[in-house]
Amino acid sequence: MTAIIGAGIDRVDAALKVTGSANYPNDVAYPGLAHAALVRATVAAGRIRAIDTSAAEAAPGVLTVITHLTAPRLDRGPMTLLGPSPPAPIQDDRILHHGQHVAIVVADSPERARHAASLVRVEYETVKALLDLDDPRAEVTANPWNLDTDRGDVAAGFAAADVVVEGTYTTPDNTNNPLGLMSTVAIWHGDSLTVHDSTQWPHNVRTSLAKIFKVPESGIRVLAPYVGGGFGAGLRMWPHVILTVLAAREVGRPVKLVLTRPEMFTSVGHRPHSVMRFKLGATRDGRLMAIDADGVSPVAMEDDDYEPVSLCAATAYGCSHVRTRDRQVRLNIPCPGSMRAPAEGQGNFGLESAVDELAHALGMDPLELRLRNFAQADPESGLPWSSNALRECYRLGAERFGWSRRTPQPGSMREGRWLIGYGMAAVSYPAYQVPCQARASLHRDGSAFVRSAATDIGTGTYTVMTQLAAESLGLDVSRVRFDLGDSDMPYSPQAGGSGLTGALGNAVHLACRRLVGDVLDLVRDDANSPLRGMKLDDVTVDQGRVHRVGIPEQGEAYSDILARHGVEELSADGRSIPPRSEDLGMAVAGAFGAKFVEVRVDPDLGLLRVARVVSAIDGGRVLNEKTATSQIVGGTVGGISQAMFEDTATDRETGRIANATFGDYLIPVNADIPDIDVIFVGEPDPATPIGTKGVGEVGLVGLAAAIANAVHHATGRRIRTLPITIDQLML
Amino acid sequence: MRPFEYVRAVDAGQAVALVSADPDTSYLAGGTTQLDLMKDGVLRPARLVDVTRLPLSGVTSTGSAIRVGATTTMEELAADPVVIERLPFIREALLLGASTQLRNLATIGGNLLQRARCRYFRDPAVEACNKRDPGSGCAAITGFARMHAILGTSDHCIALHASDVAVPLVALDSVVHVQGVDGPRGIPLTEFYRPPGDTPHIENVLRHGELITAVEVPLLPEGARSHYLKVRDRVSYEFALTSAGAALVIQDGLITSARVALGGVGTLPWRSWEAERVLRDAPATRETFRAAADAALEGARTLPGTAFKVDLAKRTLVRTLETIAGARA
Amino acid sequence: MEVTLNVNGSAHPLRLDARVTLLDALRDHLGLTGAKKGCDQGACGACTVLLDGRRVVACLTLAAQCEEREVTTIEALSEEGTPHPVQAAFARHDAFQCGYCTPGQIMSAVALLAEGRAGSEEEIREFMSGNLCRCGAYPNIRKAIRDVAEEG
Repeated sequence: MTAIIGAGIDRVDAALKVTGSANYPNDVAYPGLAHAALVRATVAAGRIRAIDTSAAEAAPGVLTVITHLTAPRLDRGPMTLLGPSPPAPIQDDRILHHGQHVAIVVADSPERARHAASLVRVEYETVKALLDLDDPRAEVTANPWNLDTDRGDVAAGFAAADVVVEGTYTTPDNTNNPLGLMSTVAIWHGDSLTVHDSTQWPHNVRTSLAKIFKVPESGIRVLAPYVGGGFGAGLRMWPHVILTVLAAREVGRPVKLVLTRPEMFTSVGHRPHSVMRFKLGATRDGRLMAIDADGVSPVAMEDDDYEPVSLCAATAYGCSHVRTRDRQVRLNIPCPGSMRAPAEGQGNFGLESAVDELAHALGMDPLELRLRNFAQADPESGLPWSSNALRECYRLGAERFGWSRRTPQPGSMREGRWLIGYGMAAVSYPAYQVPCQARASLHRDGSAFVRSAATDIGTGTYTVMTQLAAESLGLDVSRVRFDLGDSDMPYSPQAGGSGLTGALGNAVHLACRRLVGDVLDLVRDDANSPLRGMKLDDVTVDQGRVHRVGIPEQGEAYSDILARHGVEELSADGRSIPPRSEDLGMAVAGAFGAKFVEVRVDPDLGLLRVARVVSAIDGGRVLNEKTATSQIVGGTVGGISQAMFEDTATDRETGRIANATFGDYLIPVNADIPDIDVIFVGEPDPATPIGTKGVGEVGLVGLAAAIANAVHHATGRRIRTLPITIDQLML
Repeated sequence: MRPFEYVRAVDAGQAVALVSADPDTSYLAGGTTQLDLMKDGVLRPARLVDVTRLPLSGVTSTGSAIRVGATTTMEELAADPVVIERLPFIREALLLGASTQLRNLATIGGNLLQRARCRYFRDPAVEACNKRDPGSGCAAITGFARMHAILGTSDHCIALHASDVAVPLVALDSVVHVQGVDGPRGIPLTEFYRPPGDTPHIENVLRHGELITAVEVPLLPEGARSHYLKVRDRVSYEFALTSAGAALVIQDGLITSARVALGGVGTLPWRSWEAERVLRDAPATRETFRAAADAALEGARTLPGTAFKVDLAKRTLVRTLETIAGARA
Repeated sequence: MEVTLNVNGSAHPLRLDARVTLLDALRDHLGLTGAKKGCDQGACGACTVLLDGRRVVACLTLAAQCEEREVTTIEALSEEGTPHPVQAAFARHDAFQCGYCTPGQIMSAVALLAEGRAGSEEEIREFMSGNLCRCGAYPNIRKAIRDVAEEG
């Protein structure tokens, strides 16, 4: 391996981003661009009795107003890797949630469109909305993902336990809120269509629009070279995209829709609230005998979401007797969707708080309790892990943090008026990978162009794929361009589930290897080539050259080979297939992590400050220390935010979100965030050639529990409800 | 946003005449409240008269007071040497409000006239808001009330006055100078705001068209110590859950002069004469401070979402007073 | 209405709806899309630009109010391809991820340095708190600013 991989090189897109030149979907302009604005329902359940668009249509500059009365019938989008598509919008008069789109207005300026939208008058016939998980009228689905776990004999496990703890933990709705307002620009040219969209998955937008608008996929191009963050909000193709495309067809002009911040709370998913119960039993010496977990979350009336919040209990620890149960309740709410570490983000708070409670009940150091219950093999399959450095995470994280300085008694550490608390939590993040494709081209000058229709939502995809391609082709990174964000490029899955780097990285690696193979094919019978007749395994690549392994003199430059053979460009495709545990005889592992947090609590004013965080992460092979660290730091900030700030509040009577602005929905500001220490441990994972495990979500998970556990250590108060706020901490 | 006409005022007289003559015409200063509420569709003026170019900016000292021009920005006032030297809790309150980007726009006159942050007031999708639509009811009372008031509320409105700097200003008996069609007048800040009562849409005693031209702020006496403490969920860039601004003169352990006001709890910047009475001529001890805090919060009316604020406001005031007393020692 | 905006050293006569904010004038009418719209409510700082050298949120400023004032945007920061020291430091310290808040952060940081408020970690934290970053790049943003402040 050359030093290209792992090195913390600056992002290849840094120059564009620091100069404001990176082109996000809402930066796009076209001649004749028209602007759209949405009208949203102001009730949560019922029907539209009447909708009066006359004032809006008469307003200056208005080009069209489309409602369920005038919209064409549209099919629901296709089944996707992530489940069904959202239902098509404005198809009938039914209202299923507050904020539901009921009309789209298009005008010649954004100011005129927005004002005209405010002139649309809607009368509703309302019914009492289902807004509460406990509402007896609500439809409840047991085991909605068929992932409930039954392992061993939970009753026997508890019977054999000396100590049992049980707690109910609740997490609120959180809203993804990427800083970039999600935007769509749609342009029809006859039956073909170009769409700029804030998506994490351009191919899904293409496939969905093709089905909905009944045009061939080949005529649709979706572009997302830069996206202003996603955190899951861009995984699905949401109804506002359909409305924009429809509007553009209607007015025969390019149309741009930029969601407002309040619309971001009701249009593009959110992390649903959860109520979870965790019961743990252990022997006096800290051996986990049984885990019983259940969780419930809401979902929209006619849509789907994946949130098995109790499932994390199944594989986190080496415990023989485990039962997990999940339920989902249909409510009149905007559809929840994946938000950075879906299900894990909620479940881990409950599980790792419960483990801390167990440690306290046992009088045992919480680190020691976790070490004693380390899962030597995958608890479900019994297979050895493809890699698992969780114990190194514990050890190195604790060392860096100074965990040994912790005095066990709650309230025993203080500095002036500040109570100090040390808390920790563990994370075992599930592995996820799906097929992906990439294409690598070598130009006559020996430089390379590699691409795939993936997205870089801030994760560093541009950069790490440039590095990987450079390594695989033996080129300097300056001689490689990696491009993405265009559905005309080879197929890529979504940037989500911490799975893209692995899927795409392996595809890029394969494409590059094939390309080198194709170069060797060129010289197979070339008497002038020192590489004549060689196979891929016989050669290595370095500094723009291919040479015999171990004999640098026996080789030649790509540029020489291509020139001699009159080849202008050589291209090869790579397709990665996810590794399967049963083929490998190893359980394919995701990332692991140990989080250590120091908090300070002013018990008089209820102030809580995170003073220090150490995150020790086994993410497999680290492709770029700088961007991988940023992923963990960013996840950590998201975790602090979940722990202390985020709480989407829904009015109990109306189903309206009561804090749908950045002034009211709190996320941390600079002053809330301490410096964050990140340590990478572990080795490249052997399950795939590139050895990564994905670090997009493991950074977030565990912070909420670690902070709550630290708060307990500081104050003796156990907080089982997020977020942890001043009113809970005034002692 | 409804279409409107933009007029840049050439002098104060013209501005006053324009706005006074038309109920649909409003002033525009820093714009940080006005434009925000216009975008939300809560304010719908047909014409805006921009007063930011009028010669109303700057701070002048008269020896016993400063006169702050109405369009002086929050950042400019915070940087004023007399404020730094003689009115430090005003500077503290200013710099704990909003962000630098907003403080560079927001003016002192506009700050005093800032509207409620209440999300029920600011969202026209909510039908029941007596402040926006008199007689329609108050959705906040049965909604999420954490950021709402507990002092000066009525059954018709619990919206908070969220200004930070108004807290020390009201503690100091500042005077608001205004110009109207009938000429200028001065209004003590303690009499400037109106509690919601059954007319929450009327927030102050200004007549339509009266223009704030300056705020006169008496200086603290020599030997006084002041402090502004703001308690909130985030460390920065957030409105107060509770805050307290106080100034004390302490001689030989005895409080000889006290000025106290609270933020984050009142429907208006909350001057606490009750706390001042307890403090005056009492020993500067924790017991006195606690008694003052109890007196300040007497009469608080809470909802489930705001119940914690009574205790928090008391603790905030006690901490503020202790900090002042400690700084002196 | 007719509005002439002085942006990055040149005068731009424009015909605008009075409702157009400075942010939308820059983005939609002048093609300067560096300043970003993250909330349009003055709550995120992504639209931070300099107005007569002072940082402001362009989303809560009417374009009409900016006549005869000098507007400076991220587009004017680097001179002839040479990045401003703050831009270089942001790149070096990986002080962004998605990059959307970055122009606002950088304009705010440039102003912060000019205000003399980059003297300590605490000062930087407090006076950079008007710029939200959802990716969580805050620690690296501070490192970048500290670096520039120490270089002088």
